[in-house]
Amino acid sequence: MISRRNALNTLAAAALAAGVGIGAVPAKAAEDTIKVGVLHSLSGTMAISETTLKDSVLMMIDNLNKEGGLLGKKVEAVVVDPASNWPLFAEKARELIQVNKVDVVFGCWTSVSRKSVLPVFEELNGMLFYPVQYEGEESSRNVFYTGAAPNQQAIPAVEYLMSEDGGGAKRFVLLGTDYVYPRTTNKILRAFLHTKGIADADIMEEYTPFGHSDWQTIVANVKKFASQGIKTAVVSTINGDANVPFYKELGNQGIKAEDIPVVAFSVGEEELAGLDTTPLVGHLGAWNYFMSVDAPENDTFIKAWHAFIKDEKRVTNDPMEATYIGFKMWTQAVKQAGTTDVDAVRQAMYGQKVKNLTGGMAVMNANHHLSKPVLIGEIQEDGQFDVVWQTEGEVVGDAWSDFIPESAALTADWTYPWVCGNCKKPAFTN
Amino acid sequence: MLRRLLLPLLLLFASPAFADQTAELLEGLKAKSYAAKIAVVEKLAASGDARVVAPLTAMLNGRLHIRKSDGLIVVLEKKDGKRRFLNALTGEPLGPAKSRSSKKIRVNNRLRGVLRGALGSLTLFSTDPAQRLNAAQSMFKSAGADSLPALAKAYLNETNDGVREALARTLAAARLRHGTDEEKLAAAHILADYPDRGVRDLLAKTAQTAKGDLLVAVKQADASIEQRLAFFDILQNLFQGLSLGSVLLLAAIGLAITFGVMGVINMAHGEMVMLGAYTTHVVQVVMQQYYPGAITQSLLLSIPAAFLIAGLFGVFLERSVIRFLYGRPLETLLATWGLSLMLQQFVRSIFGPTNREVIAPSWMSGAIEITGGLVLTNNRICIIIFAVLVFLVLTLLIRYTDFGLRMRAVTQNRAMADAVGIRSSWVDALTFGLGSGVAGLAGVALSQIDNVSPNLGQGYIIDSFLVVVFGGVGNLWGTLVGALSLGMANKFLEPYAGAVLGKILILVLVILFIQKRPRGLFALKGRAAEA
Amino acid sequence: MRFVTSHWIFSALLAAITIIVPVLNLAVPEGSALHIPTYAVSLFGKYLAFALLALAVDLIWGYCGILSLGHGAFFALGGYAMGMYLMRQIGDRGVYGNAELPDFMVFLNWQELPWYWYGFDNFFFAMAMVMLVPGLLAFIFGWFAFRSRVSGVYLSIITQAMTFALMLAFFRNDMGFGGNNGLTDFKELLGFDLRSQGMRAALFIASGGALLAGFLICRVIVTSKLGKILIGIRDAESRTRFLGYRVEHYKVFVFTVSAVMAGIAGALYVPQVGIINPGEFAPANSIEIVVWVALGGRGTLIGAIMGAVLVNMAKSYFTAAFPEIWLFALGGLFIAVTLFLPRGILGGISGSLNMLSARSRS
Repeated sequence: MISRRNALNTLAAAALAAGVGIGAVPAKAAEDTIKVGVLHSLSGTMAISETTLKDSVLMMIDNLNKEGGLLGKKVEAVVVDPASNWPLFAEKARELIQVNKVDVVFGCWTSVSRKSVLPVFEELNGMLFYPVQYEGEESSRNVFYTGAAPNQQAIPAVEYLMSEDGGGAKRFVLLGTDYVYPRTTNKILRAFLHTKGIADADIMEEYTPFGHSDWQTIVANVKKFASQGIKTAVVSTINGDANVPFYKELGNQGIKAEDIPVVAFSVGEEELAGLDTTPLVGHLGAWNYFMSVDAPENDTFIKAWHAFIKDEKRVTNDPMEATYIGFKMWTQAVKQAGTTDVDAVRQAMYGQKVKNLTGGMAVMNANHHLSKPVLIGEIQEDGQFDVVWQTEGEVVGDAWSDFIPESAALTADWTYPWVCGNCKKPAFTN
Repeated sequence: MLRRLLLPLLLLFASPAFADQTAELLEGLKAKSYAAKIAVVEKLAASGDARVVAPLTAMLNGRLHIRKSDGLIVVLEKKDGKRRFLNALTGEPLGPAKSRSSKKIRVNNRLRGVLRGALGSLTLFSTDPAQRLNAAQSMFKSAGADSLPALAKAYLNETNDGVREALARTLAAARLRHGTDEEKLAAAHILADYPDRGVRDLLAKTAQTAKGDLLVAVKQADASIEQRLAFFDILQNLFQGLSLGSVLLLAAIGLAITFGVMGVINMAHGEMVMLGAYTTHVVQVVMQQYYPGAITQSLLLSIPAAFLIAGLFGVFLERSVIRFLYGRPLETLLATWGLSLMLQQFVRSIFGPTNREVIAPSWMSGAIEITGGLVLTNNRICIIIFAVLVFLVLTLLIRYTDFGLRMRAVTQNRAMADAVGIRSSWVDALTFGLGSGVAGLAGVALSQIDNVSPNLGQGYIIDSFLVVVFGGVGNLWGTLVGALSLGMANKFLEPYAGAVLGKILILVLVILFIQKRPRGLFALKGRAAEA
Repeated sequence: MRFVTSHWIFSALLAAITIIVPVLNLAVPEGSALHIPTYAVSLFGKYLAFALLALAVDLIWGYCGILSLGHGAFFALGGYAMGMYLMRQIGDRGVYGNAELPDFMVFLNWQELPWYWYGFDNFFFAMAMVMLVPGLLAFIFGWFAFRSRVSGVYLSIITQAMTFALMLAFFRNDMGFGGNNGLTDFKELLGFDLRSQGMRAALFIASGGALLAGFLICRVIVTSKLGKILIGIRDAESRTRFLGYRVEHYKVFVFTVSAVMAGIAGALYVPQVGIINPGEFAPANSIEIVVWVALGGRGTLIGAIMGAVLVNMAKSYFTAAFPEIWLFALGGLFIAVTLFLPRGILGGISGSLNMLSARSRS
């Protein structure tokens, strides 16, 4: 190692060349630890959401080590900051796998960050756990998707809005930030609404830039659209930062949930924490987890979280549960496989079961998506959600939506004989 | 005479049975399905028993619980941080409540609507005009055929003008739905005078099933409302433009001083705004500790606090970094950029990366509804006023005070100012402090409409520079006109082009405008312009 | 005299690195101490692309006084042109197996390829576009701006507005450039697997070669008569104009050359990082480029290159070593350099060298 640096130094006295050295010096891996990479933005625009997930992973590693580690070894976190910069995500992913030699990576939030690291994980055969609800239309051999697919969030939510209990909405405003998750989700929803006999004239679709902060016009337009004598609901896929000004405007313009309910797929406890929710009571969220659910696992988790973060006021949310399930499943799979080797662990992942924090069992399917329950909650005054509806059992996450013609034909199944993420027929036939 | 004697007697006699019946009905609220709960609520409302108002109100607010120990339906009261149970019907205290010792009776939107309607019919004759108004408004959507006589009676007895107006509208709505044919027709004509979205919604709904004369009347009413709403839309647009303009003005005006007057390319300007917003948050948290509920006061207190904190920080910054960089404006870009990164991380380390809550005082939430078509949100009205005030004070300060005079002297001709005995270095520090302090004030205002997060400043920095440059560097009036025209243009483009395209168009327009007037709207003339 | 030698030494060094690094990566076996891992080759290739970009900014800012806060736009446009070619190379290997349309168009229901995607199947067409699109935009933008005598901060802010507008436009999915996700999941370049070691080495050599060429071209420009006029414009624009030079012509020329260089840098950057998305247009990125140049030493070509490499190395290192507090380190670095090395790192070094030699002479 030293000789390499010396060689380089003699090769180029200029500072220019020293750069190769930095990349080339791997952090010396202690052989007796299992390394877990954490690839969440700690600065930049996404830090607001992702930092919590970094802390969740650290908490679970902490707990695991207290219980004696994994396979008799200590588990060590390798935290890097991809700084909400998408190409940097790819660079850091490569660094984690090649330089730090991590056994598994927990990370990413936005779709673009996942798309950016995907080729790296596939090339180097790494393993990524992705904990956020997303647009689907993907199944990689190297990624496990523990967040909700559209059929585990969007479609049940709209079904609820159309039901009698949900108010019997027949007219929809699809409001989103202009990126791939809202676009795809809304495309799926539009196709779904068509099957329910709702015409295009009764669907309004509108997109805003990231971090949009002036919602006056759009909220006024929604009001206008909703005053046509047909029960109207808003489906929001507005992303992170833009939500607070959106809800503030909504509350101030006096849109009551009884009149025009807004169901959001990206608004959880964490987003509401910066908000006075009194005027928002009754607006909805659709998730696989709510902090308010009364279940023993959930109580234990919340207690552990508060103890770890040393703040009784911090909330928990759905991506945290997804991280929790992913981490538990991975530890179980490692124990079952007896090694951290990616190929062996992957095989052990299929059918792996972990208790949901809200009761019931999460199961990892062969398409790398989970079976999870879907809950619909209404926002309360204290910033929590009250569950008003939930699916009977678990819903199987669907990688390829049935409502997009091109993708309906595709199947994701990584077990024999398919062994494929996007195929029309099995890779192996007898 | 006999009846007068008999009635109280009858009531006296009936009352225990009455109570039992209500209590029995109340038990039905334990049902799981919302449909069952709705049926119970409707029965409770129809019972005429005045005591059901308490449990129904509690239910609406999510305070009606089932005590786990004995299955009794109770009201959970939270007062001064203490929680206790009350008997649902009588309100008699039942002792303190431990957390998770009771289960909330769940309410959803549909049930909430029914509850509001039910409570409306129960409080229609309340002695409190505010409650009557609330009742009239909440019954607009839900009033059934059976409430027609009560509504008519309430309308005739009403003495308060505002409530009477609301009752007329609700009564007409109820008649349009449930009245006789003539009543329906008359109601349609009456409703034509209420140009708001709720009425349009109702008319559109009626038009789906109406026939003959009624259909014509409804269509006419709808058209007349539509016409007036279109006019209101323009006013609404004006207001929105004014409001966006004043937000831009607030965000940019501090920069107009640090960048426009002093020539420092202050990339940390956004972070000064952020400091102001966090100061607001901290002041509120501290005030809540000692004077819970003093939200208005804490917001007012944050105004000087944010100004001082951001201003002092500005002075510190000028003394420690910026003063070494005068005459090298581009290097101030580098240093302040580094500073902005550090400030963001600093706030992130102390307050965490998540949004912080700033509670709005009640007079700042909600809206003034001129009519249903013209809604002016209170927080935006306040921000417009605040922006105008800040601008006025600032111009007066620069125009008429001694400090303003020195400031202008130093920026116009430093050597000459030094020569007449002005301590130009202190004036520099104070000027930078003033600009930063004003940015802090902007933070107080923005905390009311935007996220209080480490990224707050980043969202406004580009717009701020654009406004200052568009208006003409070094000219406060330019900043004012620039901010308002960009705000207006944006809001008038948005309905046609959409939010994204509208913003792109504005940027292109500014670029083209600068070609036409390379020194902004209000260009400095003479030698200063070449510097 | 000394200046000339340092410039040749630097060129030789750059050429040596461009050749030796890939050799150490490919020819030296993996266990050897001299081996350079592929990971480092790609990373360093990226730095070289950034260095070329910094060079482009230094040419206009350091030598002509044009502070562009929107140069990231030209870089990103070059990157998009390259990305579009790489997208077309995927062919029917996308997830939907559609040979006609890229994946993102398939799931957004596009029926046919938009006209502006035509021709990008051809490598040479795409390479022409890499230079032509940024060049043309810069030419038009510069033509209007410089003729209207927009200068100083006004120019800086409208270049920023330009890149911001482009960012918003490219974010729009309706534009047909993949929206926020941008273009990704590339497979091949000229038929060679992008993930192969050889391809990465080749891209490294291309980056090094382009940087060297860019450096020499800039040298030629700044040392020629043209360069003297540019410096004249930088130091006293009005006087240069009064002397009879058509200032705006010189400015447009150098602005366009710089944009083309930035475009090429973008084209080299994209295959090495594997993604191009509208984030590259973000005004913050453009400011960062200026920061590299200022840090290395404005008005010294070598300084710009060093600034870009050093800041990016620091960033790579800090984000892994101090993920929670690295912004303090980076921000502090910027402030410290401005305060203590006002002419940048290289300016500071050569300044003190000059002082020493001046002292020894006297």
